[in-house]
Amino acid sequence: MSSTSTTWMSVPHAREVVVTGIGLAVPGVAAYGALLGPLPGEGGFDLVAGLRGREMRHKDRASRLALRAAESALRDAALLDAEGAFTGTADSTAVVVSTNLGNADSVCEAADTLYREGVTGLSPLGLPQTSSNVVAGWVAIRYGLRGPNLTICNGITSGLDALAWARNLITAQRATAVLVVGVEPANDVAAKLLGERSADAAAAVVLEPADTAAVRGARPRAAINGYARARDLADALAAAGAAGETPVDLWLGNEANTGTTLLGATHRIDLEAQLGPLSGALGVLQCAAATAHLATAATGHVVATAGGLHHDAAAALLLTTPHTTCPSTQKPEEHP
Amino acid sequence: MTWDITGMAAIANVGSSPQDIFAALCAGEESRTPLKAFDAAKYRAPYAYEIGDRPGGGQDRPRRATGWLTTVVRQAVADAGLHEDLSQVPVLVGTTMREQRSLELWWRGHPDASLEDLHYGTALKTEFGASTTYTFANACSASLYALGMATDLIELGAADTVVVAGTDALTEGGFGTLDRVQNDIPHALRPFDTTHKGMLMGEGAAAVVLQRAGTGARPVYARVRGVSMNCDALHATAPDPDGITRAIRDAHRRAGVRAQDIDLVMLHGSGTPRNDVTESTVLSRVFDGTEPGPRMTAIKAMTGHTLGGSGLLSLLMAVLAMKEGTIPPVLGLTDPIPEAADLGLVQGTPYCGDLGMAQINAFGFGGINAVAIVEAAR
Repeated sequence: MSSTSTTWMSVPHAREVVVTGIGLAVPGVAAYGALLGPLPGEGGFDLVAGLRGREMRHKDRASRLALRAAESALRDAALLDAEGAFTGTADSTAVVVSTNLGNADSVCEAADTLYREGVTGLSPLGLPQTSSNVVAGWVAIRYGLRGPNLTICNGITSGLDALAWARNLITAQRATAVLVVGVEPANDVAAKLLGERSADAAAAVVLEPADTAAVRGARPRAAINGYARARDLADALAAAGAAGETPVDLWLGNEANTGTTLLGATHRIDLEAQLGPLSGALGVLQCAAATAHLATAATGHVVATAGGLHHDAAAALLLTTPHTTCPSTQKPEEHP
Repeated sequence: MTWDITGMAAIANVGSSPQDIFAALCAGEESRTPLKAFDAAKYRAPYAYEIGDRPGGGQDRPRRATGWLTTVVRQAVADAGLHEDLSQVPVLVGTTMREQRSLELWWRGHPDASLEDLHYGTALKTEFGASTTYTFANACSASLYALGMATDLIELGAADTVVVAGTDALTEGGFGTLDRVQNDIPHALRPFDTTHKGMLMGEGAAAVVLQRAGTGARPVYARVRGVSMNCDALHATAPDPDGITRAIRDAHRRAGVRAQDIDLVMLHGSGTPRNDVTESTVLSRVFDGTEPGPRMTAIKAMTGHTLGGSGLLSLLMAVLAMKEGTIPPVLGLTDPIPEAADLGLVQGTPYCGDLGMAQINAFGFGGINAVAIVEAAR
């Protein structure tokens, strides 16, 4: 075959892509810095008060959670004005949503209604959530984001995959900013599929090219530096460039699930062990935790992993301190 | 940059290969059938465009969409002369529903369903050893979105070969809610005709092998010139003329073509009055001044709306239309809506002529649009 030996490792991401905003709607996590500590903690997202409001009407739970996380992330990235309107470049701002069970409750509820009452029992307001991309649609509509609009339902690796595709959209010059949202609502359908009650949560991050972020004065907090989806964790780590010389300071992953230990990692955080199954929200929340860690003046890399044993693949994402805030990697002559 | 299409496969209600489907479209015989997927007594819409591979006796089975997907991927890969081992080849799948039909069956008591089967990577791993697999749930523009992401992967140097596919099966929630919101229940999908009443669902899958220009082993069917993707960001289910106009103009810009270079437009043509009026109005404006302008057709009149895979199925039909110099007519179109009066819609019998460049439209819920420009291989 003509295309062997091509992996994601070879993507020449000439422009550094960085995290410039983070927003969470996670009960028991008061701020994204808290993701580094024991969870769940005090405070965090209020699932009752937080999901009320005029703009929440007639929307499924996943969309409502996602809208709250999106709002926080855009505000954190200084992309909202005082009235909550988007101030960035709407035509080239993309939305990428990761979710596996976002509309599963709507799907099963409709099946029950049809069984009991037939088609006249259904609500016409349920039309948007028959399609798996309902969340991305509502998020784009709320902020008028007219760039590419992508929904990734790709199993346990979905969140990490979403971040990688978001970076590709920027590198391919289809977007100048991407709002990435990972969301999973808790309900009986999700619990039955997952075998236990899931986290009821959404996480959002804003990705931008480092140069664009610098021009508008945004602070780059972490750089997305490598990614791969492969048959197992070892292959994914190697292809993501995470198996090299630089020590891994923090591993965000699950030892049992991946069937391996990441040798040399100084710290390890397993978000699902503390918060319950996160499914499509996992990777985006891992990115938030990685960003929090890199803000603490960490010296090594952060690696987030998902999948492996019992899944169709494993994915690895490598996050590092952005070059622009890491003077030691820049020679003086680069600053005229 | 252009990208080579070197392998093709498809399945729909009217055929199980691109060539069979194309021949059926040209023959133009009514293809709707009475609703068999679900208990028809619970619905008002009496017809659909189903694939007849259920066990019978009113029974449904899980993972039909997955089965069609693995079939078309296998056929497209063979068609391109590639090995069936896809461990080094990304596979991008566009879908509206994923395996939501399996989820429904499981919830209503069918014993056989799992979370890992909701996305298609699990089956692609089992069948082809594939790991760089992605399920994009991008509504009815999903497979053209996937095509656009595939062109990016090749352009960015991440791959030389990408398999792009789309698949969807009828879901009772989707079929039922569509039935619920259409006040005047359509008995057939009649895009751009004054008798159009709305959309009826179809089923099917399509796949192409996309390769870096000049790297394939087999003759090139056609060349992808560019794919645009955007979002209206205006309404959850209704199309917006501005968003669609931006998508078309961006596709032309990416492909380096002008409106007058387009010979054939494969319309989204979902048969809803809202879509047909919006799409006609936009195309009349885009192709204003290009007289006589491109010929246009809409295949959903015969395949039904095959949802996530519909854009790629339209693209395959465009490739064959350019190869054959023949455009199938829009089944049932005798009296176009006023907004479509100036469009070169093919009616009655196939159009024959020289066709070099095609535009394919796909629009989906959430206001997401994707438009592809494909050039004949000469």
